[in-house]
Amino acid sequence: MVASVIPQFVPAFYSSMYTTALYGGLIVAFIGLIGIAMEKRDIQILILTDLVGLAMLIVVAAVGTDLSEALILPGLVVELAEIMAISEILISREMRKVDEGTSFTPMPLKIDMEIMTTAPNFIALILIAYGVFLSGFTGGAVAGGGIVIYVLSRKVRGLPIFVLDGVGAISGISWCLWIIGFIFFFLLPQYWLLSLFLAALGLLLKVASKIGLIGILMREEYGRK
Amino acid sequence: MLIEDLGGNILGTIPLGDIVLYLNPLHLFLFVTILLFTALISISRTETQVEAMFGSLDENKVAVGLKEFKQRRFLAIICGIATAGAMITGDLFNFTLFMALIGIVNIGIVSAVKQVDVLNSAYQYGLIAMMCGLPLFGGAAIILAATGTLSLFELASIPANPMMIFGALVMLVGVAGESGIAPFFASKAEMFRTPGSPFILIIHLSSLFIIVRFVEILLTIL
Repeated sequence: MVASVIPQFVPAFYSSMYTTALYGGLIVAFIGLIGIAMEKRDIQILILTDLVGLAMLIVVAAVGTDLSEALILPGLVVELAEIMAISEILISREMRKVDEGTSFTPMPLKIDMEIMTTAPNFIALILIAYGVFLSGFTGGAVAGGGIVIYVLSRKVRGLPIFVLDGVGAISGISWCLWIIGFIFFFLLPQYWLLSLFLAALGLLLKVASKIGLIGILMREEYGRK
Repeated sequence: MLIEDLGGNILGTIPLGDIVLYLNPLHLFLFVTILLFTALISISRTETQVEAMFGSLDENKVAVGLKEFKQRRFLAIICGIATAGAMITGDLFNFTLFMALIGIVNIGIVSAVKQVDVLNSAYQYGLIAMMCGLPLFGGAAIILAATGTLSLFELASIPANPMMIFGALVMLVGVAGESGIAPFFASKAEMFRTPGSPFILIIHLSSLFIIVRFVEILLTIL
């Protein structure tokens, strides 16, 4: 980093870390690019490309100011959106090649694990309960994982699967809850506990239903003709 | 270089906290042009490709289904709006985000086609776009590290130093990859071999406008 823009109170050790972190990011990206050049299978290339994307996050994070912290989140979102768009392309291309029938949660490999047949409902219940207890983004991810395990286990055991069409709507409405909580936080700071819980529950519902949506989106993708 | 030398007199600034938008005739012209084109696209219908069949006088019509048409029109409008945003923005990182959004939407426009080879080239273009996310965002971050700001208005008045030039060149590689121009064009050119003309055209037009704007940014900050 150029010395003139660094404030005086930053210790020299931290400001000297920038070059190290920058080189670290570039080395990670270089390793990823070597992997992409050597690999032949498409799905592996896609996964290795994500490694280059992570190197991008390292380079942005190396700056280490609050502005760069604000840049990491959009960078991560863009990275995720790109990898989802490309995997969508990959899925629809493979579908055109094989032209298979529609299936809910299509799996490239057969899941033959004991955990799917012994007590999946209990595990899913524990995960959802723990997710609700955690609340917020982490809780949403845990609860969504519980939903995915439930759906997968039903599929493995050959039971019928319910498809809730309104899952997308739940996600959208809970997003509104999150935003309302956020606005409350600024307008009426004395009700901070209420707005905190609004935001936490909204985010929990949103993330959980988003992860649940993944399966439905995959089915729609396979159903498209 | 001073902003006034490139885009004409500054018509005004819109201070939004850290981000200071500034308006000059060049940006306004690009902004209005791309919005007009987007408006034209939103009311137009797709073409139907007619292929002559070999060995007979028959012809083969390749039309676009209604669902696919709607999806493409939506994504094309998003692409136009993102390009317009990149034209008018006064913040370097906003520009990179609009650029990345255009890259994603370009993949999305061709994602619903039925031809396997078009999907294949879209996949290759997507990989290139994703790898070029590193120089794109990394270059912006290096410029941020060199100057402490991302506002183009302030960057124009800071004299260029070697690190800034390095960051700008890295970012140039990123923009070239994301918009699929010269060295990376091979992956993108095959994407157009599909019916649905006006929506496919915005892929071209957006990268054209982005390059013009980015050259202007480079000249401004260096």
